Amino acid sequence: MSASMTPARRRRTVNNIIALLVSAVMVFPVYWMVTTALKRPGRILSAVPQFFPWPLSLDNFARALDKPHFWVFVRNSLTVTLSSVVLSLIISLFAAVAIARFRFAGRKALLAILVLVQMIPAAAMVIPVYLMLRSINGLDFIPGLVLTYMTFVLPFTIWTLRGFVEGVPVELEEAALVDGCGRFQMYTRVLLPLLMPGIVATSIFAFVNAWDDYLFAYVIMKSQSNYTLPVWLVSFQTSESVDYGAMIAASTIFSIPVLIFFLLVQRRLVGGMTSGAVKE
Amino acid sequence: MAITEKRSPVRTSTGPRPRPPGRRRSATRPRMLPWAMIAPAVIALLLIQGYPLVRLLVLSTQDFGPRSLFTGQADFVGLDNFTKIFGDADFRAVLVRTLVFTALCVLLLMVLGFLISHLLMGVSRWVQIVTTVCLVLVWAMPMVAATLVWQWMYQPQYGVANWLLTKLQVFGDLTAHDWFSHPNQALGLIVLLTVWKGLPFVALTLFAARGQISESLYEAARLDGAGTLQTFRHITIPIMRPVLAILTILEVIWSVNSFTPIWVLTQGGPDGQTTTLGVYAYITAFSRNDYGSGASIAVVTVLILALFSIAYVRKLSAQGETR
Repeated sequence: MSASMTPARRRRTVNNIIALLVSAVMVFPVYWMVTTALKRPGRILSAVPQFFPWPLSLDNFARALDKPHFWVFVRNSLTVTLSSVVLSLIISLFAAVAIARFRFAGRKALLAILVLVQMIPAAAMVIPVYLMLRSINGLDFIPGLVLTYMTFVLPFTIWTLRGFVEGVPVELEEAALVDGCGRFQMYTRVLLPLLMPGIVATSIFAFVNAWDDYLFAYVIMKSQSNYTLPVWLVSFQTSESVDYGAMIAASTIFSIPVLIFFLLVQRRLVGGMTSGAVKE
Repeated sequence: MAITEKRSPVRTSTGPRPRPPGRRRSATRPRMLPWAMIAPAVIALLLIQGYPLVRLLVLSTQDFGPRSLFTGQADFVGLDNFTKIFGDADFRAVLVRTLVFTALCVLLLMVLGFLISHLLMGVSRWVQIVTTVCLVLVWAMPMVAATLVWQWMYQPQYGVANWLLTKLQVFGDLTAHDWFSHPNQALGLIVLLTVWKGLPFVALTLFAARGQISESLYEAARLDGAGTLQTFRHITIPIMRPVLAILTILEVIWSVNSFTPIWVLTQGGPDGQTTTLGVYAYITAFSRNDYGSGASIAVVTVLILALFSIAYVRKLSAQGETR
């Protein structure tokens, strides 16, 4: 069969095979996580690894959900993550519209600061943030974590939303004003719906940022009833005899919302970065 | 910026855009409105980014120990913290290790990412989709979960990695081999995990950027007899230089500050030999209760990253002008 192939087709076939091999190697840990979670508990600790989890079992998930306080950690994580996403979105929407639609003194400086602040490593900021929250009794207190996540993601959300606002033709807003809309109505009826894809993409980033953070939650949240999922997952692993089946099942539960979000908006995420960067 | 290990592609997006025409009505708009609109953002940033940054700088010149936590009092010691950490052999080892770790991660990420993005250009549509989905799954996997899964895969007795490697006879018999008790092997695994987790972002971004280059450039080059390497050198890399630069800077920052994988896999051990700057600042401040020295380590980290970013950006813009 290969004799009848043109060189171009043969090259494509070779490329296909290499790409599929690369994909298999890359995705293997994800596969291993999901299949480990679905194995019957007795099949996890076996000298010869079982590559196919058949027969499937939800027993590991059941044990993970049964761990003390599991639902408390879920609630904590959801509360912290969703509040910081909503807060940062509201604040950055206002800022983004102001930056994109008004010329005012200090606008350029603000843009520069937004870029610079993103360069400051979060690992360096955890010490002063800890001391600051400590001095106002904000440690081990969920709003303290919310404020931290909300602010750390702001430079990114403002910057991204600003780009999306600039993508909406200003003529549309003017037409709405001419038609007798008030300024507020113009924003809610014209701008906001057009911004929805951008808002969705941006909020998913803010979500993942807070959902997956370990360092700040670990430093700020001291009592077990205030743990978020990442802190709990890691504390799981340090206990004396690790229940690998339950730990991997819990990691799977923790990952699934993010995996789904990403598959849904993947295109927009990558497109955003390159749209301005290459064409210049 | 990012909390730990964020992989966000859009942050440095869109450069300056042409100002849309017909926007000269600012005189008719309320003067204070834009300020009111950005005020919440500015206040939040000042309180939770600006103030801590200043506090970090002040802290690095203070002897801030466990007692200061309760009294709130700390003596100013000038640059003592800095002379102390630079006089510390451990710190110098951490510094060198961080540089090696970062260089390895970034080099592997950029080279492999570039190769994968190139590979994606030459495959069938369905393979493109399959590979993209696999990459996105890796990219989206939370770092905490990814690290725990790696720990499980490299578990000495029951880990799939030891079994596979022993079967494939790459490193001889690895039954019950404990990777995490050997510093270099543990660090190697952390590099591997970092590269694996970061690769999809680099590859997909470069693939998207590569897709925006007109194919006619390559056709013309091929007619002129250019090979693959020459088209890289004269077309792909020059055009993608801004994206490559941004990616490199981001990956350097993320690698230097990497915390979760190291902390979860080794806690910096064995014997502190997988500790990098981010982890070392954390341990100094929170385990040894020496917040002043921890802050000075963080300040050194920020300075190194700032110098690197500035130097790199300047070099790039200089190249841009001579071209």
